[in-house]
Amino acid sequence: MTPTKTVLIVDDSRVSRLMARQYITGLHADWIVEEAGTGEESLLKARAVPPDLILMDVNMPGMGGIAAAELLRQQFPTIPISLLTANVQTATRERATQLGIGFMEKPITEARIAQLLATLEAV
Amino acid sequence: MFALSELENDALIEIFNIGVGQAAASMSAIVNEAVRMSVPSVSFINRTEAARLLDGKSPEAENICGVSQHYEGAFATEAILMFPEDKSLEIVRLMVGESVPLKELTEMEQEAMCEIGNIILNSCVGTLANIFQRELHGSLPQYHIGTSDEILIASGSLPDTVVLMLHIDFLLEKHQIHGYVAFVLDVSALHDLKEQINLYIARAMGQA
Repeated sequence: MTPTKTVLIVDDSRVSRLMARQYITGLHADWIVEEAGTGEESLLKARAVPPDLILMDVNMPGMGGIAAAELLRQQFPTIPISLLTANVQTATRERATQLGIGFMEKPITEARIAQLLATLEAV
Repeated sequence: MFALSELENDALIEIFNIGVGQAAASMSAIVNEAVRMSVPSVSFINRTEAARLLDGKSPEAENICGVSQHYEGAFATEAILMFPEDKSLEIVRLMVGESVPLKELTEMEQEAMCEIGNIILNSCVGTLANIFQRELHGSLPQYHIGTSDEILIASGSLPDTVVLMLHIDFLLEKHQIHGYVAFVLDVSALHDLKEQINLYIARAMGQA
């Protein structure tokens, strides 16, 4: 049995947060899912309760996902972060690599969420 | 008068065809069924004629729901995804599944359509950017309801402006839902696009 984990979903789209939440809790009913609708909110939530995994959209109003991920990476060097985005451009993938974070393209599917959670399941 | 050579036109169609293929794959993953997309068709027309062309594609639907995004970078374009308005709730239901109550689903319909547009348009535009080896920066998706004419005007320039319109019809086979994706470029953007196409052709021929 995997110990309970906390996943922070950062996405301005409520429906994307809902779908990611559904798939995460479908795979791990006891895991805690936190949500943030902006990059700024993700910083506040992560500081309040550092999560075990952060899933980050890129194109959001205000602070974008890349800028938020960069700040989170500085403040929480060991927390796994993955972009979860419709922006499939090579430039975005390269930025993720430079920041030392993962990349997963949308749409959100159960298989993609399972793949993102797999790294935590082994811990 | 702006014109593309036969080779440039061929490359333009081929590049958008690849982008559309990616968009079809994304849409298919969203709705969990097969999606058929047409070969892109290219027209140099004004926005009013463009709207008339799109209206002719779905005469049964009075209102259309559209999601548009503006892109800047290697070239500038408006990308618009359009569905008959009366099908949008059905599409959102296909996306989120049966577990979400109808009331909640209805409340988030617009937002969900924006996210669907965001995924499909970025899938296509991102593929174009990768082919051109350049970056395209997209705005946040905008949701519109109206006729094709109203949506095209809301998402871009004046009705009499001549534009290049690439449009692609698609069909969700199981649910028989038709929609289309359109890319609208004004004259200044056409020169940038032509330059990118020529760089692509040069790379394909080993000259760059």
